[in-house]
Amino acid sequence: MTPFADDPDLARRCIAGDLSAFGELVRKYQDKIYNLCCYMLQDSDSARDAAQETFLKAYSNVKEFRAESALYSWLYRIAVNTCLDHKKKARPDQLEDESLLTDLASSEPTPERLYQAKELGRTLQAALQKLPEEMRASIILKEMEGLSYEEIAEVLHVSLGTVKSRISRAREELRRLLQGKV
Amino acid sequence: MKCSQIKELISRYVDDDLGPDEQEAFTLHIRDCAGCTKELEEIQAIHTLFASADRFEAPHGFATRVVAHLEEREPSRFWGFLAFHRTLLRAAELVLALVVFMVGIISGNVLMADRTSEKQTILANVHSSFSLDLFQATPPGSVGGAYVSLVGAADER
Repeated sequence: MTPFADDPDLARRCIAGDLSAFGELVRKYQDKIYNLCCYMLQDSDSARDAAQETFLKAYSNVKEFRAESALYSWLYRIAVNTCLDHKKKARPDQLEDESLLTDLASSEPTPERLYQAKELGRTLQAALQKLPEEMRASIILKEMEGLSYEEIAEVLHVSLGTVKSRISRAREELRRLLQGKV
Repeated sequence: MKCSQIKELISRYVDDDLGPDEQEAFTLHIRDCAGCTKELEEIQAIHTLFASADRFEAPHGFATRVVAHLEEREPSRFWGFLAFHRTLLRAAELVLALVVFMVGIISGNVLMADRTSEKQTILANVHSSFSLDLFQATPPGSVGGAYVSLVGAADER
């Protein structure tokens, strides 16, 4: 049974106003949505706020959810739009913010692994923030969340060709930005 | 296939999205082109970087806080429902009060009209019971004269 097989039933219960069902939905998708927000926004406070806002918006608009689309792609759409709308506080030391890397520390006990993860995370984070937001969203959904081209097209409400083009250009740009660092 | 065409296919090749014909042409070109091979390896390194980058987990207690926030909002939905119906209730009370007031005014007017005609009837009875038809004329200053002037004033009214 795939992890999303029980989503239609969960969606039905949420639409019916079952708050406990919505709690299940939050627990099921909190990591995915939070991870997406982290890579879209970089700092943990903004990511946490955006992730929380995503679920609150989902609750307010659950009656608009259509059973034909997947529950997770609907949530991703809300999360991406929330991140795109989010006004990040511009701080000169933003790129040096280690709050996200502290999250990594909680799951990576060995010092060497922590260092490598920190460096990779820092490098990738910095490069991603230099991409235009639409390209950033596309490549994150593809590489971090493992969505197919078709699923990304549904989340972002763009054509399949646009998705392929954005991902190709994102990879090309990251290749240029990370030359010699990877 | 030219290098410019191959570069457009590299990303799709990494995602295993090429059709059979495209796959064959791509593979043949890559085998003999160092430049395109290098670009493919760099794109694949980006792909590997993403794969090895850790996934962030939601902070401890995140779901509990979101649900608690929603539970706080739920009473406001109930009170909003009730407040709306309270407004309707108040409006109904006002309308009812107005109706009762109007009924009271109308009833009062009817009662007043009845009492006036009743008063006139009583006076007429009094006049008739105290009628002094025997007297043809009354001397001024007499009781009969006073009575006659009283009856005359009532008649005029």
